[in-house]
Amino acid sequence: MIGVGKTKQYANVLDRPISKGKQEVSLSAFAFLFSELVQYNQTQVDNIAELERRLEDAGYAVGARVLELLCHREKGNRRETRLLGILSFVHSTVWKVLFGKVADSLEKGTEHEDEYMISEKELLVNRFISVPKDMGTFNCGAFVAGIVRGVLDGAGFPAVVTAHFVPVDGQQRPRTTILIKFAEEVLVREARLG
Amino acid sequence: MPAVYSLYIINKSGGLIYHKDYGSAGRMDTNDSLRLASLWHSMHAISQQLSPVAGCTGIELLEADTFDLHCFQSLTGTKFFVVAAPGTQNMESLLKHIYELYTDYVLKNPFYEMEMPIRCELFDINLTQAIQNDRFALLGR
Amino acid sequence: MAPPPRSGDAIFANVDRVNAELFTLTYGAIVRQLLTDLEEVDEVNKQLDQMGYNIGIRLIDEFLAKSNISTCVDFKETAEVIAKVGFKMFLGVTASVSNWDPEGTTCSIILEDNPLVDFVELPDTCQGLYYCNILSGVVRGALEMVSMKTEITWVRDMLRGDDAFELRLKLLKQVPEEYPYKDDE
Repeated sequence: MIGVGKTKQYANVLDRPISKGKQEVSLSAFAFLFSELVQYNQTQVDNIAELERRLEDAGYAVGARVLELLCHREKGNRRETRLLGILSFVHSTVWKVLFGKVADSLEKGTEHEDEYMISEKELLVNRFISVPKDMGTFNCGAFVAGIVRGVLDGAGFPAVVTAHFVPVDGQQRPRTTILIKFAEEVLVREARLG
Repeated sequence: MPAVYSLYIINKSGGLIYHKDYGSAGRMDTNDSLRLASLWHSMHAISQQLSPVAGCTGIELLEADTFDLHCFQSLTGTKFFVVAAPGTQNMESLLKHIYELYTDYVLKNPFYEMEMPIRCELFDINLTQAIQNDRFALLGR
Repeated sequence: MAPPPRSGDAIFANVDRVNAELFTLTYGAIVRQLLTDLEEVDEVNKQLDQMGYNIGIRLIDEFLAKSNISTCVDFKETAEVIAKVGFKMFLGVTASVSNWDPEGTTCSIILEDNPLVDFVELPDTCQGLYYCNILSGVVRGALEMVSMKTEITWVRDMLRGDDAFELRLKLLKQVPEEYPYKDDE
């Protein structure tokens, strides 16, 4: 198992046993790394929309890999073909593995048929981050939106995914909603599958 | 009336990067607080040189008639000091706690630039909580 | 009376922790972004070191706050503390220190476990890449904030076929700032 004493040397990295996913690092280590990811991307852009896009793109690749890893390890290579199945996979399995808990809530949008929302009181990636007032509604959770998009895309459910701060009555801090807007083809297929 | 009157944080060059008043006593305007920070920075450094003991790390406590000033300096040169009511207990552990809050909500914030004034909402929120909890702990005695 | 220094294991057991895979995958995303943006492997190496440095100058305060370490007596103690407490409390792995030079200013820090590199394989196009270069920057930045100027280089790299990760740590200068401080202007 990775992380216990000396690792056995394999000639080919593909021959190594897949990790059980139990090794941990401190939250601080991740937070510092993520902070640097955000800071680096800030130097590469001229505006907030671009920063959001770059963070989403960074997350996308993570999502694609997480899908592969989890499908193999947690689901015995079974593939989700239904909308609710993949959403549940993201809300529960993906969230549990990456963030240590299932997401606070999964809801269907009330205004549009193609919209679903995964919400968190506070995203793990935002734990230590205070966005300056002059950055408006910018949310570093764009990285997580990218992860979700990567998972969904890889699973055959293309969607536009964005992260938003949503004010909560009586709470000082807003919660975060990951808004998922599925592509037309997904809904058409879902309807056909009955 | 809160036992802690105010908190100051000075960067390693002596610049004031954070100042918060918690009571009505001892409030001062921005210019005065900047001057105070710079003065304290110098006094702290001079005290290390004046000390007859080798390896002195500077003033930790200043006791006056109307207040106590407790100071903590990290090995990186950042100074945290509180002005509190005379005889207030537990200021050392409060300062240590504030240092930890700084390492979390300031240093892990990608929008915070090192050595600059601190404007981090989460730091403010957690700090206020820490200071209030401290007050309740004291009142509980 | 100052509280005693804490062990790496004790600190790691008491901090919030996350799945190493989130960490590994995020680091992979960073390296990938840099390769796309900078293209040249040497530039990526430099940028990774710089990013590590930026992290190190911030991470040191948390290290000091949580470990209760007071000033180290000498560089030997410093290196031990980095290996046993530093790496453990952040990365959950213990490193070892060896190969001291006679002056006691140069040593090796050896890592056998490295959460940055799980399942990473260097493609042929990236053979000059020091994938973990962020680590050398972190150590360098952290030490600089406590007045130690160092030079840190990779001696062994498991992604290049070696059997461990080995960093060579050389103390160049130890200069605490004395009052009156030199003008920054």
